[in-house]
Amino acid sequence: MNEYSWLIKREFWENRAIWILPAVIGMALTLGALFGKVEIDVTPSPDQVRTLGGTVLFGFGVTFFGVMNLYSTWYLLECLYADRKDRSILFWKSLPISDAKTVLAKLFTGVLVIPLVYFIAADISTLLIAFIVSVRARSTLAYGLWQSDLWLQLQALWIYLIVTTAIWYLPFVGYLLVISAWAKRAVILWSIVPPLAAYLLERWFFGTHWVGTLLVQRAFDYRSVAFHGTSDPYAWGGNVTAAGLIPAPQSVWRLLDPLEFVSRPATWMGLLVGVALIMGAIQLRLRVSET
Amino acid sequence: MPALIEARDVTKRYGRHIALDHATFRVETGRIVGLIGPNGAGKTSALRAILGLTSYQGHLRVLDREPFAERADLMRDACFIADVAVLPSWLRVDNAIDFVSGIHPRFRRERALALLAKTEISGRRRMRELSKGMKTQVHLALTMAIDARLFVLDEPTLGLDILARRSFYDALVNDYMDDTRTILITTHQVEEVEHLLTDVIFINKGRIVLDSSVEEIAARYAAVAVADAQLDAARLRKPFYERRTLGKTVLYFDRVAAGELAEWGEVLTPSIADLFVAKLSGTPA
Repeated sequence: MNEYSWLIKREFWENRAIWILPAVIGMALTLGALFGKVEIDVTPSPDQVRTLGGTVLFGFGVTFFGVMNLYSTWYLLECLYADRKDRSILFWKSLPISDAKTVLAKLFTGVLVIPLVYFIAADISTLLIAFIVSVRARSTLAYGLWQSDLWLQLQALWIYLIVTTAIWYLPFVGYLLVISAWAKRAVILWSIVPPLAAYLLERWFFGTHWVGTLLVQRAFDYRSVAFHGTSDPYAWGGNVTAAGLIPAPQSVWRLLDPLEFVSRPATWMGLLVGVALIMGAIQLRLRVSET
Repeated sequence: MPALIEARDVTKRYGRHIALDHATFRVETGRIVGLIGPNGAGKTSALRAILGLTSYQGHLRVLDREPFAERADLMRDACFIADVAVLPSWLRVDNAIDFVSGIHPRFRRERALALLAKTEISGRRRMRELSKGMKTQVHLALTMAIDARLFVLDEPTLGLDILARRSFYDALVNDYMDDTRTILITTHQVEEVEHLLTDVIFINKGRIVLDSSVEEIAARYAAVAVADAQLDAARLRKPFYERRTLGKTVLYFDRVAAGELAEWGEVLTPSIADLFVAKLSGTPA
């Protein structure tokens, strides 16, 4: 385990954006809370305050989670390519660490460590912001931000998202690692070309959409697989103002659907494909000897 | 006791190109071995196979392990520096020492720090801020602090100036080498290492041309500068190579007793560089 902690520490040295990016987002949001001005010209009911608080907390979470997804996609695509590009791979390979451990450490960093860093950054900055808003305004919004059960729900949502997306999107993750371990240059281009080519060739020669459908399903089915449908009025959504409906987690507990997630064959098929691709990436890493 | 490195019929192909062609050689403990060959001869392929960086066909054991299958384990007892400065640009010198001492069971941190203290490199510097020579010094400090049984150096002094080269080889022989260790060096500058080698392996076009100790070379090979008048007589002894120089012809003999050659001139042991040229240039008519 000690080896993995060094390998992950190494990822933090190499990719300082892992912590700088969330710190910058947190700082920007905190500055917004310090100097920003928001006026709500209706006197909301307690329910609406709660919803508003939830929306704001949820909004922060979404901001962090969105940036995190983009960053960790980039990280996974770059992580096995960077040291081949600068030839430092020969230095890493001169150390008694197997290629499997190297690839797994990068996988853990991409799917667990980076999300956890953002999770912690989101919590710290939300706490700071709630505190600032309370001091500045003592307003209804401040009251809305200090709802302990909403906090708890958001923590649960984060953890649930990290775990389930790591499993569901493992085929994509494995694919990114394969490209990262294999491509000689232009990793972004290489990550796009094969699926696009497969889709177009299938369409031209067979007139079918099997590849496209599979990719689209994997990309967009996650929500319906891991969460209850949005039609449940108690699960999702609520009125903030008389005029508009802003979705907010009234109750995350009604939203999460772990039973559905684990009972779908697609979840486990994807996991298998992901594991196979990761093993492929390890094999590629073993064999990168050409300069 | 088995050899430290034992290669039998090791072959490496890249598509149609054969980089190593049934290479067979042995390296024993406590030797300083030069792997010598022209560019593209298969030196790098041989080293990569020995270090477990590439797959191959044939039988290869290094420190009683199969390199490609057991690279990580092999690297506990072997270390290497590849031909160019390959330390990652973002890595800080002190972080590099922390990392290797965290991960390598045979790394001696104090030794690395002592070696670095002799240089003017601060621990806070990143590799990208260092000159090529400084990077090599850091790499050497990191590697020489490992209690390894096999140390492989692939063109270690490339890009270093002549002073740095000298002190590099001095440190290697005086501070590092002892009879439990083995060093394998590749270089195209044979003159620079020939005084410290105990063994040489010549490689050309993927084939091992010569695998011999320096003593064996002295016992086996001889060179004589012969005047033109005696050339035909000397040629009857079947030299394997000849070269014109200063109005005489130097003939190279393999396994011909020195006493039989002495009548034509002073019998010398060819230098490794000369022998290398002689061996690789092939037999004259």
